[in-house]
Amino acid sequence: MTPQPEIIIDVENVSKKFLLPQGEVTILEDIQLQAQEGEFIVIVGPSGAGKSTLLRMMNGLVIPSAGRILFRGKPTRGINMETAMVFQNFGLLPWLTVLQNVELGLENRVKELDRRRERAQKYIGKVGLDGYEEAYPRELSGGMKQRVGLARALAVEPTLLLMDEPFSSLDVLSSINLRNELLDIWSDRDNVVNTVVLVTHIIEEAVELADRIVILGSRPGRIAGNIRVNIPRPRQKRDPLFLEYVDEVFSLLA
Amino acid sequence: MKRKEATSSLPDVGISQVLGLVSHLSSVGGKEDIYRLAGELSMELGETLKVIRAAETLKLVNTPGGEVEMEPFGAKVVDASIHERKELIFEQLQQIPLFKKIREFLDEEDGHEASKEMVLEKIADILPNEDAEHQFGAIVSWGRYAELFGYNDDSETFYLDQ
Repeated sequence: MTPQPEIIIDVENVSKKFLLPQGEVTILEDIQLQAQEGEFIVIVGPSGAGKSTLLRMMNGLVIPSAGRILFRGKPTRGINMETAMVFQNFGLLPWLTVLQNVELGLENRVKELDRRRERAQKYIGKVGLDGYEEAYPRELSGGMKQRVGLARALAVEPTLLLMDEPFSSLDVLSSINLRNELLDIWSDRDNVVNTVVLVTHIIEEAVELADRIVILGSRPGRIAGNIRVNIPRPRQKRDPLFLEYVDEVFSLLA
Repeated sequence: MKRKEATSSLPDVGISQVLGLVSHLSSVGGKEDIYRLAGELSMELGETLKVIRAAETLKLVNTPGGEVEMEPFGAKVVDASIHERKELIFEQLQQIPLFKKIREFLDEEDGHEASKEMVLEKIADILPNEDAEHQFGAIVSWGRYAELFGYNDDSETFYLDQ
């Protein structure tokens, strides 16, 4: 019997309410979601569906109002150091170089400066940023900035990589390029991180990347569907099967 | 008589954009009408042409008529790993007259380095009709990507990446 892949994160009946001046608002309701080791999960939903909030609960930045989140079977408390996040707006410090920005993510995890530098250098290489070490964010295009964001997250060697609309700030061609490179990095067997949860509002992006798409309906955000994408990679946007999946996701969102 | 090699400028577009263009082209069968390409990518035509021209300068694509067509080198770049891709571009940049001239210029300098000011002058000399700052930006980004040139903005030093 083949062993079942481990469940990395398990979101159990989670709800999130925020207190606003007009009263209590439910952002997410009764969310159930699991990610197995090695899975690439894409959460797709319209803006305001609570996608980013859900991602921030997975890394412990936001606390659920009800329900619980288990990480490798254990309830989580506080910031989960086994996760790393890639942000839509890159989250880089403008006064630091590429190398320093990547090292920054390691400050609380790797004590020795030499080892920190070595680790940062390794992941700068993985994302194709060798040669950019001493560049400042202002010298970089959006695509290169997001590579720095990715290198910083990977350098942590997280069990779970969380990505919050990582391609939304990029022009269309750079986002095509980065999606391809992300898949290359994810499918690389030497890679430490193989479990990814990414949120997006773009359906084609979800169908292109995901093993499984979780569809989030809005106000309040509830799971509206869960689809396994059975198309071999690389996936072609003009493939009729690709378009069928796009239609299916769209009909569940609408 | 040896014909003088023409030096053309390099459009200042992101490397990720150029790589995205060839990936996209590969996913639609390697060939597309330029006007249609801009439409399906929801890109402004002028911007699309800039990216295509950069890809053409690097010999990744060709533009017969109103079409953009993948060159064998472009297909090779698409199929390459992240690391191999940089090596391929490294080889290619050394064939491009603008980069060749900048490299020769650096080879003659002490320590294979020069101030930004000097490089700007050199660019103005090679491409008198172009905005030297823009060209410098393009040379730095492609040079860094290919690990051919490096640049330190604090000291404004441009150097050969060895």
